[in-house]
Amino acid sequence: MITVTLQYFAQLREQAGAGGERLTTTAGSLGDLYDELRARHGFSLPADALKVAVNTQFSDWGRPLCDGDTIVFIPPVAGG
Amino acid sequence: MSRFDLSGETVDIAALRASLQSSGSGGFCTFEGWVRDSNDGRDVDGLDYEAYDALARAEGERILQEAIARYGVDDVRCVHRVGQLHVGDLAVWIGVAAAHRDEAFRACRYVIDEIKHRLPIWKKEHYLDGDTAWVACTHEHEHARHDSPPAPFTPDYSRQTRLKEVGEAGQAKLGAARVLVIGAGGLGCPVLSYLAGAGVGTLGIIDGDRLEASNLHRQTMYDARDVGAFKARLAAKRIAALNPTVAVQTWTEPLHAGNATEVFAQFDLVVECTDDMGSRYLSNDAALLAGKPLILASVHQYEGQLQVVSARPGASCLRCLWPHEPAPGLAGSCAESGVLGPVPGVLGALQAAEALKILLDIPRQDDGVLLLYNLLDHTSQRLSIDPASGCAAHGGCVEVARRAMARAQNLSLSFNQLDDAIAAGFTLVDVREPREIALEPLDAPSRQCPSSQVGDRLAELAGDRVLLVCASGRRSDYAARVLREKGLGDVHSLAGGVNALNRSA
Repeated sequence: MITVTLQYFAQLREQAGAGGERLTTTAGSLGDLYDELRARHGFSLPADALKVAVNTQFSDWGRPLCDGDTIVFIPPVAGG
Repeated sequence: MSRFDLSGETVDIAALRASLQSSGSGGFCTFEGWVRDSNDGRDVDGLDYEAYDALARAEGERILQEAIARYGVDDVRCVHRVGQLHVGDLAVWIGVAAAHRDEAFRACRYVIDEIKHRLPIWKKEHYLDGDTAWVACTHEHEHARHDSPPAPFTPDYSRQTRLKEVGEAGQAKLGAARVLVIGAGGLGCPVLSYLAGAGVGTLGIIDGDRLEASNLHRQTMYDARDVGAFKARLAAKRIAALNPTVAVQTWTEPLHAGNATEVFAQFDLVVECTDDMGSRYLSNDAALLAGKPLILASVHQYEGQLQVVSARPGASCLRCLWPHEPAPGLAGSCAESGVLGPVPGVLGALQAAEALKILLDIPRQDDGVLLLYNLLDHTSQRLSIDPASGCAAHGGCVEVARRAMARAQNLSLSFNQLDDAIAAGFTLVDVREPREIALEPLDAPSRQCPSSQVGDRLAELAGDRVLLVCASGRRSDYAARVLREKGLGDVHSLAGGVNALNRSA
């Protein structure tokens, strides 16, 4: 089990009802983690519409999780 | 086409009025000057008008242009009679069409006052007692109480030239710079205001929308009385008032794949301020192909994103982060998600600052980052974009942009009317929602299939030459791409949608 800090932006923050959370998970990769979160929070965006960053570096979805990671999910936004 | 005419014949008022009718105009004001039966206490029978033809036409045209620029009206026409007229005849006709009555009235008043004052036209009055006399038309001119003409203005940039990174040399760079701002809304208002104030020599403004009351909480260049007018024109008027030395070019139709690169090539720098995901991707691709730096920003509720696409070899772009445009609706919008007014104000101010730094060659941080700002808790994050992980794997940003632009050019087609599309063999498919169709049905036979469902209804569409139609062209573009990816070859999207049809009508 790994504990990570999650931050949500834009639509994800709105749909999760919070700007972030700490989570203990068995997810093996960022992709698995997002699937888990998507089921829990009902996120409308598929992973391929998002960018994910770990500890302020953009990352690919296959990256394994490490204890203490800060993970940020960033959707594109359109408002102006 | 000339708006002003001198005529020896009876004026065709109905034709003039018809020439001014447009769906965007909500106010129409006319003035008619008639020959009356007395002047200075003498009974008049009729009169002859004589004009210095070439000068009167040139000056008349100038006056009408001034009225349009000064009051932001949609269009003006004027005809002045010459030759012999009788009591009761029409001597001059002026018509003004505008979004609202106030500017129509004011422009109409301006035109008649200036014509009386400036046109080289004389009249010879015929009196009932058989006498005649030449009367200068201008003597009737009561000095008009228009808004006082703009006094000569010398900008004072001392507060910025005092900065050692700016100085007189920097100011000269700004004066020579040409910046294109796409979208004159929540982000565009601060961008345009700051760049105009800073003395950027030429500003291009692209916005196909008209001002709505719901824009006013965040779009700080506009007034309540402006609702209904094109934002591009309103912004141009505001800039003329703020800094008359700035040259402004406006477009009241959105760019499309057919012209974006060409328009970008006319500028040094582009600032993308729309609330339209499709426009962001088009701007990204056009900036890369034209080799112009692009400053992207967008907002959602209380937060925003900022990205500079430098368009230099090896740098990153929008597609390095999100390779494909998300489906309409997934990216949110101010209308659907809401936004606090100052949020685009902050992000737009950041865009303006980046634009000035680029134009002034002020040392900047690396462009390869996505900046996230959250105005609720004042956190910001700078996330480095690794160019090697983005478009580099697909041939590089420019190659990816070139392919996307070619696809887009092939995808959307322009027609002035739907009958032309039908004549070209297209089956029309209206991809708007049923409630939108009920409000404004297409005036040509069409099938209906909401854009979100086109992917599930392939079988119905296969085999036909299909032209998808929506309100603005955004959803039909996206739906056409979805259908092409699913193997339908002959699917196109009506460029600009129903809005473009209305404009060309």
